[in-house]
Amino acid sequence: MIEVKKVNKSFTLFNQNNAKITVFKNLNFEVNPGEIVALKGPSGIGKSSILKMIYGSYIIDKGAIIINNKNIATLSAQEILKLRKTSIGYVSQFLKVIPRISALDVIMEPLLNSGDNKNNAYKKSIKLLKDLNIEKNLWHLSPLTFSGGEQQRINIARGFIKDLPYLLLDEPTASLDSRNRDIIINLIKAKSNRGVSIIGIFHDEYSRKKLNVREIDLNIETKH
Amino acid sequence: MIIPLLKVTNLSKSYDNIVGCKNISMSLYPGEVLGIVGESGSGKTTLINCLSGNLEPDRGKIIFNINNKKTDFLNISESEKRKFIRTDLAFVHQNPRDGLRLNVSAGGNIGEKLMSVGYRHYGNIRSLATKWINKVEIDKSRIDDLPITFSGGMLQRLQIAKNLITSPNVIFMDEPTGGLDVSVQARVLDLIRSLVNELNLTVIIVSHDLAVIRLLADKMIVMKNGTVIESGLSDQVLEDPQQEYTQLLVSSVLHV
Repeated sequence: MIEVKKVNKSFTLFNQNNAKITVFKNLNFEVNPGEIVALKGPSGIGKSSILKMIYGSYIIDKGAIIINNKNIATLSAQEILKLRKTSIGYVSQFLKVIPRISALDVIMEPLLNSGDNKNNAYKKSIKLLKDLNIEKNLWHLSPLTFSGGEQQRINIARGFIKDLPYLLLDEPTASLDSRNRDIIINLIKAKSNRGVSIIGIFHDEYSRKKLNVREIDLNIETKH
Repeated sequence: MIIPLLKVTNLSKSYDNIVGCKNISMSLYPGEVLGIVGESGSGKTTLINCLSGNLEPDRGKIIFNINNKKTDFLNISESEKRKFIRTDLAFVHQNPRDGLRLNVSAGGNIGEKLMSVGYRHYGNIRSLATKWINKVEIDKSRIDDLPITFSGGMLQRLQIAKNLITSPNVIFMDEPTGGLDVSVQARVLDLIRSLVNELNLTVIIVSHDLAVIRLLADKMIVMKNGTVIESGLSDQVLEDPQQEYTQLLVSSVLHV
């Protein structure tokens, strides 16, 4: 379960006349195992910020975010690294990789970093590439040259390859055609059926409906 | 409870009246990559030179804890210190010419390093050297060539091989991609990254290139005027910097 409790978050921009931007005041919600929560609200309201706070990329000013009985706000850097490795998958909006590394290696990496053996990691990754409908002649190429939709699917594969109890998804179905969108929706459902707690940002009504999400409307949650 | 591999407490070093680094405290755990960023003169190089034994700090503590053996780095004899530096630490210089002997063959450079930690059997040295030349993507037919015939990127990869071949416990890197062409940088970066993952290396890397830190480092510290002004997870410091100077640094990066 993920619990967001009384969270305040603001940014102070020192180099822009110390402008202070308050993003959240007293934000509260929770995500149960097997549940898919969709964050809803206009662009700029802080949907991605919530995912980043949970992942530990953004520092929160006040409150607590509890995962595995641990409060992200008070963990040390190495404790967060460990929690990410064992528990939290994060699919960012855009794939970030270095040139030269093949799509297959990009997907295998999280498994290898957790000590999985190469053969096993290879088999799992190949299966996922097939499930995601990525053509075989692309597997050994760097995803930097791929189309937006292909990159997005590699990004999802990398985030989905491990069996982790929490998943954070930033627009996983954006830039996909309807067939590939359905493939991703089914993968997300399968994760959810296995009890994974999922928080996502889904730009389209179709995905939200198909996934049977619980919506959290940030327009209401953040009315101070 | 994991014990840090390296624990630094209140480390200070001045050059006469000029502050090199001041009151630095930090911890590094096994398998972590720590990035150090900051402008020229902020004390990055002074700090890693103190940690790697190239410079004697004025004050502070440096404790290494390797395989349950504690080493009080600033309070051991000179000979113990030299042995520790030889077997447990490695230093990759920005300019590979500083870390290699250019009039000794590529294989010789690597072999020398092995001999310094006790390897004697020529066949073993040769086969290990060949394996590592291969690992850093240098064609093994070049093993008997002098480094002066190598390109900048190859030299850097050779220096990396030389440093890693003895399985050191902490590897220091000072701007390892700093002097390289952009096209060569990516290859060296990729190599360092895959070696870090494969061998679970513990690394302290100095760079003024935030993209390098983002790709390689788990944690980072930001230095200014000899002190650490901000530290944390790399993605956190880069995406949600809390200090004015760090914000300036991050916002100054050009995106292409």
